[in-house]
Amino acid sequence: MSDKPGNDANLKQDQEQDKEGRAGFLARLNALETVVLAGILLIALAGVMLVGKGFYMKAKAEVSQVLLKRSFAAQLAGETDTRPWPWADFTTEAEITALRIGESAVVLSGASGEALAFGPARLANTPMPGEPGTSVIAAHRDTHFRWLKDVKPGDLLIVTRKDGTNLTFRAGTSRIARWDESGINADAPGRNLVLATCWPFDATEQGPLRYIVNAELVADACPSTLAARGGLAELPVKSF
Amino acid sequence: MLLDTENAAKPQSRVNTRHIEYLLVALLAAVTLVLLFAMGFFAHAAAETTEGKPQQFAGYVHPNDMGTGALLFPSREPGSFVEAPRLATDVVIDVNGPVIRTRVTQRFQNPSKGWVEGTYVFPLPENSAVDTLRMQIGERFIEGEIKAREEARKVYEEAKAEGKKTALLEQQRPNIFTNQVANIGPGETIVVQIEYQSGVHQSGGEFSLRFPMVVAPRYNPDPIVQTVDLDPTSGYAVNDPAPDRDKITAPVLDPARNAKINPVTLTVNLNAGFPLGSVISPFHDTDIQTINDTARKISLTGGSVPADKDFELSWSAVAGKTPNAGLFRETQNGKTYLLGFVTPPAEDAAAGAYPKREVVFVIDNSGSMAGKSIEQARESLALAISKLRPVDRFNVIRFDDTMEVHFPALVAAAPDKREDAIAFVRGLTADGGTEMLPALEAALRTQGPVEPGALRQVVFLTDGAIGNEAQLFAEISKNRGDARVFTVGIGSAPNTHFMTKAAEIGRGTFTLIGSEDQVAARMGELFDKLENPVMTDIAASFDGANAEDITPNPMPDLYRGEPVVLTAELDGTSAAGKLQITGKTGSQPWRIEMDIAKASEGKGIAKLWARRKIDDLEANAYAVNDAAALDKEIETVALANHLVSRVTSLVAVDVTPSRPASEPVVSTDMPLNLPDGWDFGKVFGEAPQEVIPEGQRKAALEQSEQQAMLVADSMAAAPTARAASMIADAGKQVDLPQTATLADRHILIGLMLLAFAVMAATTFSLWRWQLRGLVSEARDRVR
Repeated sequence: MSDKPGNDANLKQDQEQDKEGRAGFLARLNALETVVLAGILLIALAGVMLVGKGFYMKAKAEVSQVLLKRSFAAQLAGETDTRPWPWADFTTEAEITALRIGESAVVLSGASGEALAFGPARLANTPMPGEPGTSVIAAHRDTHFRWLKDVKPGDLLIVTRKDGTNLTFRAGTSRIARWDESGINADAPGRNLVLATCWPFDATEQGPLRYIVNAELVADACPSTLAARGGLAELPVKSF
Repeated sequence: MLLDTENAAKPQSRVNTRHIEYLLVALLAAVTLVLLFAMGFFAHAAAETTEGKPQQFAGYVHPNDMGTGALLFPSREPGSFVEAPRLATDVVIDVNGPVIRTRVTQRFQNPSKGWVEGTYVFPLPENSAVDTLRMQIGERFIEGEIKAREEARKVYEEAKAEGKKTALLEQQRPNIFTNQVANIGPGETIVVQIEYQSGVHQSGGEFSLRFPMVVAPRYNPDPIVQTVDLDPTSGYAVNDPAPDRDKITAPVLDPARNAKINPVTLTVNLNAGFPLGSVISPFHDTDIQTINDTARKISLTGGSVPADKDFELSWSAVAGKTPNAGLFRETQNGKTYLLGFVTPPAEDAAAGAYPKREVVFVIDNSGSMAGKSIEQARESLALAISKLRPVDRFNVIRFDDTMEVHFPALVAAAPDKREDAIAFVRGLTADGGTEMLPALEAALRTQGPVEPGALRQVVFLTDGAIGNEAQLFAEISKNRGDARVFTVGIGSAPNTHFMTKAAEIGRGTFTLIGSEDQVAARMGELFDKLENPVMTDIAASFDGANAEDITPNPMPDLYRGEPVVLTAELDGTSAAGKLQITGKTGSQPWRIEMDIAKASEGKGIAKLWARRKIDDLEANAYAVNDAAALDKEIETVALANHLVSRVTSLVAVDVTPSRPASEPVVSTDMPLNLPDGWDFGKVFGEAPQEVIPEGQRKAALEQSEQQAMLVADSMAAAPTARAASMIADAGKQVDLPQTATLADRHILIGLMLLAFAVMAATTFSLWRWQLRGLVSEARDRVR
């Protein structure tokens, strides 16, 4: 008994029996094949969602900076209560520009919660840039502070505060430390600025290490800091 | 069936091929599952390894961890501290009626060969008033003087810069103060003596006191786990500098031996003021000496002091003589200070039967709560909801810049409603702005009238990141009605000012939850309060005496077994007039009257009053527009009573009597001429409590030396006094936030999944065609 057509007919009948009511492509699959296919589709869907989520986070960081710049400009122009968008849970505080690299970003108040998703933020327990002590601004390594690795000792960083003050900081040394062993003292003598982001730069997971760039207020912007700098004055001083 | 009859000729082969098919598909599914699990596991493992802190030397501590008085030195590990070896501790507690005066004297050592600036921390019982600080560093004696905070700090910094021995005692929080000690030389010994005043705790006819004695984690017999710490830059691991560390530290863990090396002597002079019944120390062996009917002298039985329990002493009156009210008086600077307490009658019906409650939970899910905060808030709230009883009614309100009331009105806390609410809470994500006012209005105004006999409670979970505090305070005080407002502060840096005040105006309490593992314990304390209110609307007034200042003001609600305790300042020294206290138990009014003339003399009442007065001033800060004026007011009270407060500090000045130059310093361990009134005697010398066999004592001493060496090894000592202060400053460091997004990781994993799906799909289609061929071939062969 070896007539093939009869065989196929049987098979077909069999399948129709199994999957009554199915049509088209699916009709040609048995139950287990359908399950496997569904599994593959599910994995593909998860993949698409994850990729989408990743790009959404990046897009959020970029787009929000545009809105933040607008609201910061309004703030500089003297408007009060300029929230970048009505449901924002933070206010803009300053703008930081790396002159040589040509990058800038609007700094937010308080690095808690979700503020860091939108822009660099000054840690709430540190003073404003330009005030006595060490001001700490942190941002994500893969968005707003992508350029931090390119900051070299001697680079100038311009900070425009919301009160309109323009301050120039000169970048000094950089180092790597654990997040809870930063060694940064908010009450340190002098007027210092610390920029911090995660390290290593190209890692994809959240780690405990941070990359820290120290910067100091340039003396002629604020003469009173000259005395406070004391023994640290041997940093290269460029005229500009 | 059609199939069976038609294919009866070849059932065997069909079954066989089916089996193969099933097997192959099952195999593919299994492989996929394993792959997925592996992925999840790796992601999880990566998260764990990066979040976990590397294992540290067991001796590293942080100021907030300290359970008892300790002197901390900065360690080589930035941000961590090591505890100075504690050589001896002496505690004298004088109880006079309702007032406790405690004097703690501790001797520490700088075991290193360099200069250090240390921080002395001592956790105090709530509401204790610190007024005395004395120190001996090396051969210098210094005594603290009360000064305005800024001024004190200036004096300290100047003295420090000049290389002088100096100490500064500042209040960090109402129950935590730190004492900085500058310029401790190599090998020098430091003796610290502090004195503070506090009130006797009363509960259910029992009087008690507590002295913190839980020593640092170092002494806890935790297993020592050795791990290899890979250097992130080179990838190499460095050898542990002390490979036999467990051998060195383990002997010190034995509390009995530890007590012999670092003897703790503790004496309580108990003068209860009423005939004493039982006197019990639940955790320690004590010798109790009867002096007379109302007085006892209690001391620790020498030798073994368990290091894991605070010292507690409780006493009660002989049966039938339990005082349910008391009034004490002290005259100072032409004013009369009163301390009164009354235990309200225990209502028979109230015992065991809880009042019905109506709870409105308000949870903040604004953007500032993102991350750990919202997780803690969700967990706390879910726990709170699950604790409701079916007779209670409740509602949940969430807010960011929008607001949502979960149930249209208060609902009975039936299991299904509770589960519904918990599911709602668990689904909350943190996003958006913080508009607290509408949520507060909804909680206070739109929840319908309070049922007779029920208690309305509003529980507010937030980090308090808001700007319109005054508006919110006004809303609470205006529309609170009979409701009590309880605030729960979430996250590492909540706005405690706002939440403390909101709870005070709302006549509730403030609970701070700083981390995930505190949720259960802190919320438990809160539930106790929520469930057991005994007396509300308490007020005190004077009849025939001019009293401006009665503290606390307003009087808080009373919980089970607690007495009303109040202090007051009266004009003049005459003891005329009456004190009246009124309150409400459920709906039943309650009132008591006491004659001031019959008050007995008490010591230290003025200081207790001052401490409570400062608390009240701080509590009412929201109502005072001029912050400077408030600070000035607190400063005046604190300076007059020699108290450390938020705006006043004790700064130590040199009071060393001049020593003849001809007399050389033999050893820093030997006491010099002690100034009058200094009682350091008990902490000088090793002075073991009992005779220890020579061999054992030698071993103990060796252990203590080894321990000191270990501490010295991990200390960051400096060659000069000036450098020491720089190292100490570095300890006050800023923690950096997480600044890596998972965006790249998401994209990477997503792409991997997509690639896998494409591969699987290709394999699947190829396999399917092949299988077809195989199946038909197999059939052919069978036939």
